[in-house]
Amino acid sequence: MDPYSSWTGARRSPWWGTWAIVRTGLNLILRRWIFWVLIGLGLLNFLFNFAFIYLKATIDVQNKTLGDFLNNYQVTGNGRAYADFMFAQASITALLLAFAGSMLIGGDYRQGGVVYYLSRRIERRHYVAGKLLLIASVVTIITTLPTLILFCEFGFLTSSFDYFLDHPRILAGILGYGAVLAVVQSLLLFAIAAWVPRTVPLVMTWLGMFVLVQALAEALRSINDNRTWLLLSIWGDMQRLGRWCFGTLDAAKTPTAEQCAAALTALCAACLVLILARVRAVEVVK
Amino acid sequence: MSLLELDHVSHFYGTERALNDVTLRIEPGTVGLIGQNGAGKSTLLKILMGLIQPTQGSSSVLGLDIKSQGMELRGRIGFMPETEALVPGMRGFDLVALAGELCGMPRKQALRRSHEVLSHLGLEEARYRRCEEYSVGMKQRLKLAAALVHDPELLLLDEPTAGLDPDGREAMLALLKSLAGRHGKSLILSTHLLGDVDRVCDQVLIVHRGVVRGVGRIGELRAQYRGRYRLQWRGDGVEFLNQLRTAGVTVHANGHADLAFVETPVDWNVRQFFELSCRCDLTLREVAPQEEDLEELYHRVIGNQD
Repeated sequence: MDPYSSWTGARRSPWWGTWAIVRTGLNLILRRWIFWVLIGLGLLNFLFNFAFIYLKATIDVQNKTLGDFLNNYQVTGNGRAYADFMFAQASITALLLAFAGSMLIGGDYRQGGVVYYLSRRIERRHYVAGKLLLIASVVTIITTLPTLILFCEFGFLTSSFDYFLDHPRILAGILGYGAVLAVVQSLLLFAIAAWVPRTVPLVMTWLGMFVLVQALAEALRSINDNRTWLLLSIWGDMQRLGRWCFGTLDAAKTPTAEQCAAALTALCAACLVLILARVRAVEVVK
Repeated sequence: MSLLELDHVSHFYGTERALNDVTLRIEPGTVGLIGQNGAGKSTLLKILMGLIQPTQGSSSVLGLDIKSQGMELRGRIGFMPETEALVPGMRGFDLVALAGELCGMPRKQALRRSHEVLSHLGLEEARYRRCEEYSVGMKQRLKLAAALVHDPELLLLDEPTAGLDPDGREAMLALLKSLAGRHGKSLILSTHLLGDVDRVCDQVLIVHRGVVRGVGRIGELRAQYRGRYRLQWRGDGVEFLNQLRTAGVTVHANGHADLAFVETPVDWNVRQFFELSCRCDLTLREVAPQEEDLEELYHRVIGNQD
C-alpha cells in the first residue's frame, strides 16, 4: 500500500460543489451512447437550419427574386421560425430527459446518492441547486444555445449588423423561451424523478405529463367548448409563453400568456414543494 | 482540544425524546459508539455531523460549534455511511474526487488525492471501474476513500464492516487501526459488533434509551469491575466452595469439580483464597483475575442502571 499523505489547503465555497455536481452530471450523460443518439437528432435539426440560412444568404446575393420568394415561407430569420426551431429542440430534450432523469436524479434516491452528497460540506440547497442547474444546462445546450447560434448566423450572413438592432425582441424571445423551458423542465423532472426514481415508471410518468395531459386538455376543450382547458397542457403552456416571448402569440385566443404563466408558476411551485419534501426526508444517518 | 464536548444536550422528535441531557467530553482517539437499535446513536451522529441541531444544550466537535458551524464541521469530518451511498454510473476514481470537491477541495487537488487514497486503500486496479461493478468489500473501501479524500481529522464510521466476509472484515479493521495508529485520525465507530470495537477502539460510549450510560477508556471501565477470578484446584472442592460462600464470595457454578468462577466482595484480598484452601486441605493451582469482555461490560452497564 502507498503511504498515506496528508492534505492541507484552503477550502472553497460550497457553491463550487454545486458546479461539481453539474459537471459530473453532464459527464455522465456524455458517456452513454443512447444520449448521443438523441443529441445527434438535435444536432441534425440544427445543422439543417444552419445550412438553410447559409443557402438563403447565398441565394439572396445571387438571385434576389428567389430570395424574396423564400422569405414568403418564413422558414427562418423571424420570431415564429425561431420559436418553431426551439419547440422542435425542446421535444428532443424532453425525450433525452425522460431517459436521463433516472440516472441523474432517480439513482440518487435508489442507491443512496443523496446521502453521499449531503454528508459532505454542502447543504441541501447546494445539492438541489446543482441538480436543477444540471437539467437546466442540458435544456439550454440543446435548445437555447443552438438558437442563439442561428440568430447570430442569420444576422451576419443575410443582413447587415442592423438585423440585431432591428430585432431585439427575437433575442429576448430566445432567452425568454429558453428560460421557460429550462426552469419548467428542470423542476418537473427533478420532482418526478425524486418520487418515481425507476427508469420505466419515470419515462412513463414524464411522457404522460406531456402527451397524455395534452390529449386530455384537448378532449376537455372540445367537450366543454372552452379553450381555458388547454391550460392543463404543460407543453402547450410553454409553447404559448414562448410565442409570447417572441411576440408571435395570437392575443385574441385564450389561454392568454398571463394565464399560461400563472399555470406554469403554480406547477413550478408544486414541484419545488415536492422536491424539498423529498430531499428533507432523506436520512443521512439511518 | 477535546474531540467532542456535549453539554446537557437533549433532542426531541416531536414529543419523543431521542437524547436526554447528555453531557460528556471525549478526547481524541478511537471511540466505539454502542447501543441498541433506537438507543439514540443515529441522533447523536447526526448532531455530531451538524446535520441537526439539538433541541437543548450546546455541543462542539473539534472545537467547532455544531449550531453555527455545521457545514464547516463536515469539511473536517469524514463520514462513512452504512447505506450504499454511491452515485450510479460514476467510476470509483471520479466518485472519490467528487467527494473531495464537495468538501471544498480544488478540482486538481481532489483528483490527485483521489489517486493517492484509492491506492492507499488497495483499490488502485479498480479505480476506473463503475461503482456498481464493485464487490461489497470494495464498495466499503470506496466509501472509506470518499470519507478520507479531504484528509479529515475525525472519521465517523457507521457499521464499516457490515456485509463483509471474515477476511474483508479483518482487512477493514486493520485499515482502521492503521489510520488511527499511524496517521493520527480520530475515529468514532458506530456498530453492533462489539468485537470490532474491542479490536479498534480505546474508548467506548454506551448509549441506552437516549442516555449515555458509560463513557471512557475501555480499560478503565473494565477496571471498575475488579474482583472476578477463575479458580482451579486439586482435591475435593465442596468444602472450599462452602467456605468461600460463607465469606461472602459469589460462586458461579459451572459443572466442573475442580474449577469455579467467583466474584469477591470489595474488601477481599487475594491472599484469603490461599488461607481458605489451606484450611480445607486443598491445593490451589490457579487464581486468575477474569477480565470482563466488552459484551459483558455493555450488559453490566445497561443492566446496572435499568
